[in-house]
Parts: sequence; structure tokens; C-alpha cells
Amino acid sequence: MEQRQGHRLGPLALTLPAVLGLALLFVAPFVTFSIYSFLTAGILPFSVGGPLTFDAYRSVVESEVNRALALNSLWTGLFAAATTVVVSLPVAYWLRYAAGSRRNLVLLLITATIFASYLVRIYAWRSMLGQNGVINSALVSLGVVDEPLAFLLFNRFAVTVALVHIFLPYVVLLLYAALLPIGPNMLEAAQDLGAGVVRRWTRVVLPLVAAPAGTAFVFVFILAAADYVTPQFLGGTSGVMLGVRIQESFLKSGDWPFGAASALSMLLAFLALYGLVVLALRLTGLRSIRFAS
Amino acid sequence: MTDRLRSPGTMIATLIVLTFLYAPLMIVVLFSFHSSGGLSLPFEGFSLRWYEDVLLKDEFRAAALNSLIVAVATSVTTLLVGMLASIGLSKVRGRARPVLGALFFVPLTLPGLFIGLSLLVWFSRIGLPPSLATVTLAHVVYVFPYFILILMAVLTRLDPTLEETAADLGANPWQVFQRVTLPQIWPIMLAASCLTFALSFDEFIITFFVIGSDSTLPMYIWSQLRRTVNPGINVISTLLLAITMILWAVAFIALLRSERRRRASVPEAGKGVIA
Repeated sequence: MEQRQGHRLGPLALTLPAVLGLALLFVAPFVTFSIYSFLTAGILPFSVGGPLTFDAYRSVVESEVNRALALNSLWTGLFAAATTVVVSLPVAYWLRYAAGSRRNLVLLLITATIFASYLVRIYAWRSMLGQNGVINSALVSLGVVDEPLAFLLFNRFAVTVALVHIFLPYVVLLLYAALLPIGPNMLEAAQDLGAGVVRRWTRVVLPLVAAPAGTAFVFVFILAAADYVTPQFLGGTSGVMLGVRIQESFLKSGDWPFGAASALSMLLAFLALYGLVVLALRLTGLRSIRFAS
Repeated sequence: MTDRLRSPGTMIATLIVLTFLYAPLMIVVLFSFHSSGGLSLPFEGFSLRWYEDVLLKDEFRAAALNSLIVAVATSVTTLLVGMLASIGLSKVRGRARPVLGALFFVPLTLPGLFIGLSLLVWFSRIGLPPSLATVTLAHVVYVFPYFILILMAVLTRLDPTLEETAADLGANPWQVFQRVTLPQIWPIMLAASCLTFALSFDEFIITFFVIGSDSTLPMYIWSQLRRTVNPGINVISTLLLAITMILWAVAFIALLRSERRRRASVPEAGKGVIA
């Protein structure tokens, strides 16, 4: 017994390197970053000074550029998240209930694309959607259009397409995992009782996946809205998002308090959205649906 | 049984999604072999000239070597720290457990932009100049939660009686780890390390803020993307795709093996320890 007691301190000691590492490389940096948002930019770029004020936050809220960019981030995030979840649902459904022997292969193909490089995807969509891109040259040579379509690239549409491409495999996997504990017998029962496709979806499938779909929605929204690379290459002037400006205030203009305050405002907005989704699921009672199958 | 729920609509949706996911990637791979260097259809013939072109560039080689150094350093550091941390976390009971869990997984919930910016500010505050070392530290923070997540999934399902039996029979903690725990978790550690290597090798969002004058493969692609269209990007992209996808395949096979071993060998492993 004495030996067991001695072992009790062991597990905590094992986590010590990780705890120290995260304290020094995650917690301390984030706290410092937050403090910077209350400082004031110095006369020289990249310099900061005290006292602690809300000035940076005030200029973030008052800046019209920021407001426009935040709105752009909001819309792009919402479009990307909604499209990703809606498109992933039938795929997750098929994988879980109708794929049969092809399930593993398709699951493998879809998850493999998670590892396709992020920058390569952005580049790939630029070559797909560009003026002389694959889609345009195909459409022109097939005679569908006379002139290449200009509205495919350098706008919010192109950014959204690339973001959906990036997050789709994660969400399919997440929703598939959410459907795993729900056996096909429930859907078979609904079918046997005469429920058509529409009723099976609205009365059985959707209520069951509402909570994980909400989680997936928030996950995609946050990562999409905070993206600063995709809009730079695919967004043109109309598709610029807040992340690009935050990045610029750190690396170009050198106004760190302004950048930090913008970033933390964005984080607060994310938390608010997450709270809203949780609240909505709870109010509609969808969060508590569970089936033992 | 599943055949009763035939669903042509969702099957068509799946086919469309597969096409959507693969078409752009295949176009990049296809054009990396394009003889003319043009980036639009029609395709005019195969050639390896762009591969030769890229592979002979010093900038490309330096970037590839840096990516390799950072990814190896990141995955080895994460393996050592993460292995200890996950074994510790799986055994900690009481109030410390949720606190540690939260600390370990919070970095996963923050978009890379915030991790990159925080570290940029922090490194400049403590006077650490940007280098491959700061990139490695940043990557460890980024990949650590993924490593822990995968290992915990297996560690929490291990049969604790095996380790207890070994300890009762007089094995010291190191022997218990080496003879009982490690044989059960090494395939999953290999899989997790492939994943952390691939994540680090391909990381851009955080790297962008903490790298100095050095370059990595994603940084190199980024700098090429800013210039005019260049057929070399197709080659670099194809190489990057190949490397990360191969690592993923290794990880996937290791995971399948570990799952099969776990299912097949639980009773025998018990006997082995006792005998």
C-alpha cells in the first residue's frame, strides 16, 4: 500500500514538462498579448507604452474600415460554415447508413484530403477559378460561354469555396462520428411506419445531429472568420477580411495595441457566437436528445 | 441490414463532394507534369522539366531542409513531452485532472492567428530573436493537443490491471512502462508522430509570425504565390501533397494495426505478463 501512495505523485510529475512548456509558450504569451491591447502605440512603429487604457479598443470600434472588414469576416464565416455543414450532412448520412462495403474506401479518400496542404488548396482554387483557369478554359472551349467568367475569382465567393474545401473533410468526419451511435433500426422503423425521405430527415436525422452540427458550424465559423491567408490570395479587394488587417498591423504598420485589440474583439465575438449556438440548442431542447441503441 | 436504407440522393451528394475535394488537387498534380508550363487547358503533353527546374533551385532546397529540421525537432519534442504528459494525465485523479485537461486542449480551440500573434509579441518581449528554434517552439504548442488527443483515446482504454499486476509482481515503474505500457501504445505513438510531423511540415499560419529570415516549404510557396504565375508552384505543391499524404497513410495503417492488435491480443498480453 505504501508503494501505491508514492505512485500518486508520479502522474503529476510526468505532466510537469508539458505544464511548464504550455505556461511559458501559451499562457504567458496570451496574457502578454492581452495586456498589449490595453497599451498605447509609441511614436516609433512597433513600440508600445503605458498606462493601461481602453484607447486601442475605442479606435477598433470607431474605425469604419475595421467595421467593414469585420462584417466581411462575419459573412464569409457564416457562408463557409453553413455551406460546409449542409453539404457534409448527406455525405455523413450516406457513409453511416447506405455505404455498405464502400464505406472504408470513401472514408479514407475523404480524410486523406485533410492532409492536403493548406496553401496548396488556396493555390489550386486560384488555378481553378482564374480568368484563364481550368473552369473558364473548359467553359469557353465547350462553347458554354463566349468570354471567361470574371466573377469566379477575387471575391467572397472564391474565398468561401476554398474555405469549404479546407473544412469539409473535418465536418464530414465529425458528423459521421455523431451518427455512429445511432443504429439504422431507428430509420428503418420510420421507413416501415411510412415516413418518406423528407419526414425521415426532418423528424429523425436532423434532430439527432443538431447538436454536433451546431458544434461543427461554430468550429468552421471561427477558423474561417479568423483566416488571413485565403482572402489575401483569393479575395481581391472586396473579399479582404479582418484577419488580414490584424496581421498587417503587426507586421506592416507596427501598431501592436490596435492589432491586439482587434484580435481580442474578434475572439470575444467568437465566444458570443458560441454562447448563442449553445443557448439556441438548449432552448429548442435539441441538445438533450440522446438515444441508446 | 444497411442495404435496406438505400439512399440515391446522398450517394450522388457524396460523389459530388469527392469530385469537389479531388478535382483541384488533381489539376495541380497534372499541371506539374505539363510540358508547356501553361496553367490552362488543353493539356499539351507530359514532361519532368519543371521538377528538374525546382529541384535544382537552392532556395527550394534550403526551404525543404528547414522544413525537415523543424518537423523532426517538433515531432521528437512532442513525442517526449507528450508521451509523459498523456501517461500522467491518464493516471491523475481528482481536481488536477480537469485543470490539466483544459490546459492541454485549450490551444486546439484557438485559431492559429492568435497563437502566432501571441508568440510574436512574447518572443519580442523576452528578447528571443525569430529563428527556426522559435518556429519549432511554436509548432510544438500547435501540435501538442493533437498528439495528446490521439494518445488519450488509447490510454484511457488500456486495461489498468495489466500494469497493476506487473507492479504487484515486483516490476519497477520503468519496467512496467517498458514491458507493459509501451508495447501497447507504440503503434499509436507512431501514428501520432506522423501526424505531428505532417502538421508541422505544412504549417504556415503560425510560422508566418515567428520565422525570421529563414524559409520553410510553405513559406517558399507563399512567396512564390505572391509573384506571377509560375509552373514551379505546381511541382512544389505536388511534392508537399505527396509527403503529407504518405505520412498520413503510414499513420492510418499504424492506427488500423494498433486497433487490430488491441482487439486480438488483450487476453494474450495478460498471460504474457503473468507468465
